[in-house]
Amino acid sequence: MSKIVVLGAGISGHVAASHLRRKLTKEHEVVVVSPNSNYQWIPSNIWVGIGRMPSKKILFPLAPLYKKKGIDFKQAKAVTFHPEGDLEESKPYVMAEYVTGDKQGTQEKVTYDYLINATGPKLNFEATNGLNPGTNKTYSVCTYTHAEHAWDGLNNVIQEMKQGKKAKILIGTGHAKATCQGAAFEYILNVEQELRKHKVRDMAEITWISNEYKLGDFGMDGMLMSYGSITMKSSEMVEMIFEDRDIKWILGAGVNKIEDGVAHYENLEGDNKSEPFDFAMLIPSFSGHGFKAFDKNNQEITDKLFKGFMIVDADYTPRPYEEWTVQDWPETYQNPSYKNIFAPGIAFAPPHTISKPRKSRNGTDIFPAPPRTGMPSGITAKLVADNIIDSVKSGKESLKHKGSMGNMGAACIASAGYGLLDGSGISITTFPIIPDYKKFSKTQGRHLGKTFGSIGLAGHWLKLALHYAFIYKAKMKPFWWLIPE
Amino acid sequence: MRRISPIQRFKMMNPIIQLFKFFILSIKVMVIVAGGHGGTRKVN
Repeated sequence: MSKIVVLGAGISGHVAASHLRRKLTKEHEVVVVSPNSNYQWIPSNIWVGIGRMPSKKILFPLAPLYKKKGIDFKQAKAVTFHPEGDLEESKPYVMAEYVTGDKQGTQEKVTYDYLINATGPKLNFEATNGLNPGTNKTYSVCTYTHAEHAWDGLNNVIQEMKQGKKAKILIGTGHAKATCQGAAFEYILNVEQELRKHKVRDMAEITWISNEYKLGDFGMDGMLMSYGSITMKSSEMVEMIFEDRDIKWILGAGVNKIEDGVAHYENLEGDNKSEPFDFAMLIPSFSGHGFKAFDKNNQEITDKLFKGFMIVDADYTPRPYEEWTVQDWPETYQNPSYKNIFAPGIAFAPPHTISKPRKSRNGTDIFPAPPRTGMPSGITAKLVADNIIDSVKSGKESLKHKGSMGNMGAACIASAGYGLLDGSGISITTFPIIPDYKKFSKTQGRHLGKTFGSIGLAGHWLKLALHYAFIYKAKMKPFWWLIPE
Repeated sequence: MRRISPIQRFKMMNPIIQLFKFFILSIKVMVIVAGGHGGTRKVN
């Protein structure tokens, strides 16, 4: 009998737990430890943030589902890692602290045979002075509660515009090394469409602010893509969309301080500038959770497990950008020191960024961190689960399932406006996620036939279809496993 | 600045054209995403 503990119940953790439970017999235990009571389909937060979808449509409670499926659920947060156990407990364990109910505040040693760390990122708002959702006129759409607040804030500004007040709207990244530009990109286009629907578009000046060097970088170094019958750069496509929608942009901006209605930033030229706003949605930087790890003698071994995020089978040797290769990226997401610990999704420490690193003239790093959200999170979680399932069944370590982001495709179906007949979406696929400049040397590291962009109503329908399909899958309804990650 | 021409916009928003596009897009996305993944390192 084996016990597999999954930390986190987001896209990655939930996918891993679901597949483990489906493929392992009931004699094996699957335990999920998460401080969150609900599962949320994060990609639809955008629509909560414009008031077009109630948050109850993107979430459901985890406890009843896990009880029905035979997954043990502890609503608790991981505190410390003990991969060798300690003097009293011979098995490896994670110290978890309950966050609700009768046990709130009490700690428990959750022992395991295999551990999947799918704790995702910490939304590091503190890294930017004054960036706190709901204050200083800034908002976030990173969680459904943040998105609800964002809609309240945006609605207030819309009502003021209806009274004749002009408004400045600022959307983008709130830190010099933030990631997830895609979510901000979706939000700015949705907000722009909502203002048109409310007939106040001419009262608003909308500005995109980002740490990207070029538009359409998305933390992936941009891409060359097929667009209809032509080949186009992602920067050209995004520029076309922004110009068409009268959206201004500020690039190479490292936002470092927020005051009430003012964003202060440093640009790559080293100039310190500021941008006023009446409503801002700024994505914070992501960081690890600051977990500590200890050996059996209670000596700290955090550096064996963590490098901000969790250390996995990546090549972390520091090298200049020109020497980076796809081979640097992990394939199995296994920790090299403790072979029964894995970290799929956002929880693993990337070997380096994907976008070219750039410094301002003052030496400040201003470039996007690498995205690992959504589809790669699900795919990496499933392959980790499959390797553990094989290992449990065969009784010996099996790592035959591999999935490097350098040999994996991804689709980004970005909403560009909500509406069954007047909505829009920008569908982008890319293969591979990490550009392979050797294999695809003439097409900026990507397979042109598998990297394409498309704009139109069909993109909105596709995003909506994916919303319902993935909620269905997450609820583990009949044949859920036929839907790919 | 109008960067998308009226004819392009018509194609982007016409429900009948987009219904066909929806099926094509779904298949293309499925092929790329579910088309498999693997490692990048050579193992001797």
